[in-house]
Amino acid sequence: MSTKRINGIHLEKMIKNGLANLQQHEEEANRLNVFPVPDGDTGTNMVLTLGNGVRYAKSSDDAGAYLRSLSDGMLLGARGNSGVILSQFFRGFAAELARSPIIGPGELRNGLIRGYRAAYEAVVHPVEGTILSVVREGIEHIRTQITRNSSIESILSMYIAEMRKTLSFTPEMLSVLKEAGVVDSGAYGFILIAEGMLKCLYGEVIDPKELPQPYTDAPVDLSLFNENSEFADGYCTEFILQRLVNSRYQQEFNKEDFISELRFFGNSIAVIVDGMRVKVHIHTLYPSKVIAFAQQYGEFLTFKMENMQVQHNEHDRIVEQKKEHKPLAVIAVVNGEGLKTLFSNFGCDIVIDGGTTMNTSSAEFLEAFDKVDADAIVVLPNNPNIILAARQAVELSKRRDITVVESKSAAQGYFAMAMDIPDSDDVKFRISQMQSGIDNIATVSQTVASRDYSYHEISCRKGDEIALLDSEIVSVGSDYVKTIVDTIAVIPDIDDKETCVLFRGRDVPEEREEELYELLSSLYPMMDFEFIDGGQEIYHWIIGLA
Amino acid sequence: MKDYILMADAGCDLSAEFQEKYDIKIINGHLVLPGKGDVPTFMEWKDVSREQFYAELKKNPNDYATAPPNLTEYETAFEPYIKEGKAIICVTISSAISGALDFATTARKNILAKYPDAKIKLIDSLRFGPGFGLMLVHASMLRADGKSFEEVVKYLEENRNRFHQAGWLDDLSFVAKKGRITHPKAFFGQLAGIKPIGEFDAGGLTTVLGKAKGAKAAYSVLMKYIEATIEDPEDQYIFIAQTSRYPQAEAYKKMIEEQFNPKAVYIIDVFPFCGINIGPGLMAAYYVGKPISEDLSAERALIEQFIAEAK
Repeated sequence: MSTKRINGIHLEKMIKNGLANLQQHEEEANRLNVFPVPDGDTGTNMVLTLGNGVRYAKSSDDAGAYLRSLSDGMLLGARGNSGVILSQFFRGFAAELARSPIIGPGELRNGLIRGYRAAYEAVVHPVEGTILSVVREGIEHIRTQITRNSSIESILSMYIAEMRKTLSFTPEMLSVLKEAGVVDSGAYGFILIAEGMLKCLYGEVIDPKELPQPYTDAPVDLSLFNENSEFADGYCTEFILQRLVNSRYQQEFNKEDFISELRFFGNSIAVIVDGMRVKVHIHTLYPSKVIAFAQQYGEFLTFKMENMQVQHNEHDRIVEQKKEHKPLAVIAVVNGEGLKTLFSNFGCDIVIDGGTTMNTSSAEFLEAFDKVDADAIVVLPNNPNIILAARQAVELSKRRDITVVESKSAAQGYFAMAMDIPDSDDVKFRISQMQSGIDNIATVSQTVASRDYSYHEISCRKGDEIALLDSEIVSVGSDYVKTIVDTIAVIPDIDDKETCVLFRGRDVPEEREEELYELLSSLYPMMDFEFIDGGQEIYHWIIGLA
Repeated sequence: MKDYILMADAGCDLSAEFQEKYDIKIINGHLVLPGKGDVPTFMEWKDVSREQFYAELKKNPNDYATAPPNLTEYETAFEPYIKEGKAIICVTISSAISGALDFATTARKNILAKYPDAKIKLIDSLRFGPGFGLMLVHASMLRADGKSFEEVVKYLEENRNRFHQAGWLDDLSFVAKKGRITHPKAFFGQLAGIKPIGEFDAGGLTTVLGKAKGAKAAYSVLMKYIEATIEDPEDQYIFIAQTSRYPQAEAYKKMIEEQFNPKAVYIIDVFPFCGINIGPGLMAAYYVGKPISEDLSAERALIEQFIAEAK
């Protein structure tokens, strides 16, 4: 079997098969995530990102058009660093093929090249030994072998083979992988997608799993249309009509006349004719008339009708929810009831619940940008894993007035908020104050290892108490206090630290504050200590030292 | 010409020693203390230590309240001197945070009705605590130099805005709660490790001009700020006020002495009349310098610059 060219419909099938293949191995990819803290599993993030693209994408014969909508959806749905890199790869791929309704070997090669370049550009400090190396070497090693006569199957086979080769080298490139004895999870996930696409060409279709619900399409609140509502917006009506040759139906069909007739019933009319099938979109107050008219020509293959007043009211409600105008609005991502309350009390305009994994998507950021009415916006991601997604959202929003203050922990976010001067008229000064809030803050996080792990001198077993300085594990043991004390002790400028803010996790008893305070204040008598009920899920303690 | 009286309320935080040395008459106001009810203001720690007082205040701030001297108390304070034929300059705690000036104004009217020749001048200090106290000390020194009633009044009216505050208030929950500072929620409570730096504004309140992260950074900003705004430091007495921040005040005193070599630096306690409204987090120096701009723009620019340099 040899395919020389693929159109949008083929491509869509391939992409869906790629997603299904990734989903089938999602847990495997997650397990490759070597870090013993379960915040941001690569496999899941990639599934969510590609899944949002597939859901968002509009089917089209035109491969370029399909890819464009797929890539838009992925950019919006991107979660975690692996998701952002994947979405950027597809953005490059789609940009290269924007004017290619049909993809042949040359287009595919160029798309794969442009894709990896876009992925590299998205990352400030590209790290080799990750998905980046795999997508780059995969195509660079075979690009000269691709000719006009190459089949899509052969290109993808070579591409996958090269990527697998690179994948097996990722432990050599990245020591953290080597010590853990695994390959890079993001790279592995990408190969799964490519393999699924190739399998599709060989007719091996994988049953798709149900996708997790999207967050961009929040369910419409039907209570917004009730006995007291006005009805003025009509129904959004969409159907595909199959014209039938049976003489009971009108056989003469002229698209222009059909459209002119429809104009009597409504507006926003779109009609696409594909042989004996007619796809119709119309906004109408009287769908029954449209149905009766259309039924003269055939029967409905599909039919969809939505009350637009509900959507309108929903829109009004969202507009109403918009906050009052402010010179500067702050959007922060946190996990835990205590932290959410704290950030709101601090004057944060929108507090996004990062969930357990703190992997907020670009779409969630965009939605938040929309909800505030401000001259400038500051975003506090409070997690290294979502800084990229936040930056991507800023880029997608095309707004220049949004600053991502790259807080890597809730503790850094706390100091950024605390340094703000809300009654100053000087927005630039306020942003620079917040920016300076995160400087020189050491974050110590303490939790229990969720899996076995080994890197350099450090190794731990699932269930061990571990403490991290910024994002590196420093101490492992059976006593949580000791891990914290040991980790604080290695902060290079610990003697210059004056303040220690401790956020207690959800399942940590309050009495432990006393225990920690006594020990820490005896070790650092000059330091000020402040305990806050954070209520965060994964980390038992998040400790910021300033 | 020392035939006029300098008078003030307890908002000036001048201890008995200063009152005597500078001959300043104090009109007591009122305190509501837990378990004690309404008691007169006091300016020495007798029944309770400074640390105890502020620790208790921090725990139950709602059990404490203050009130200025009332109408009768002002009249009673004015009358004996008027009868003696002495003129009075009465300086009050900032009208932005207390009703003292209102009571004094009515009291003055009543006294004038009774003694049409009485000479009483009321001056709104637009300050509180040791910043207000320092203003009185300056007035008293002028009086000792032989300046007339009118000259001292003119000095006070023209130079009020040269009395600076360079310091921090690291627990803003009190000023916020008492409505004595206009701030959004973000300012509530104590922000661990953050030092909001404030200066007196034209309205008689303090405005936060910037925030420094940590005491070290704050000291560096404050020292530069004093340097940029003070005039003739070697001729000055500098007051350092602290509510419950004595060690920090001592460190500050040392730095100021070393850098500016003033005549003397005094660490001044803030007593309950002001302290109840400020809370335990004040640590600030008071001195005379360049006039403070009406909208604080010049001062804000300096603080912003120094904060940027301290990073």
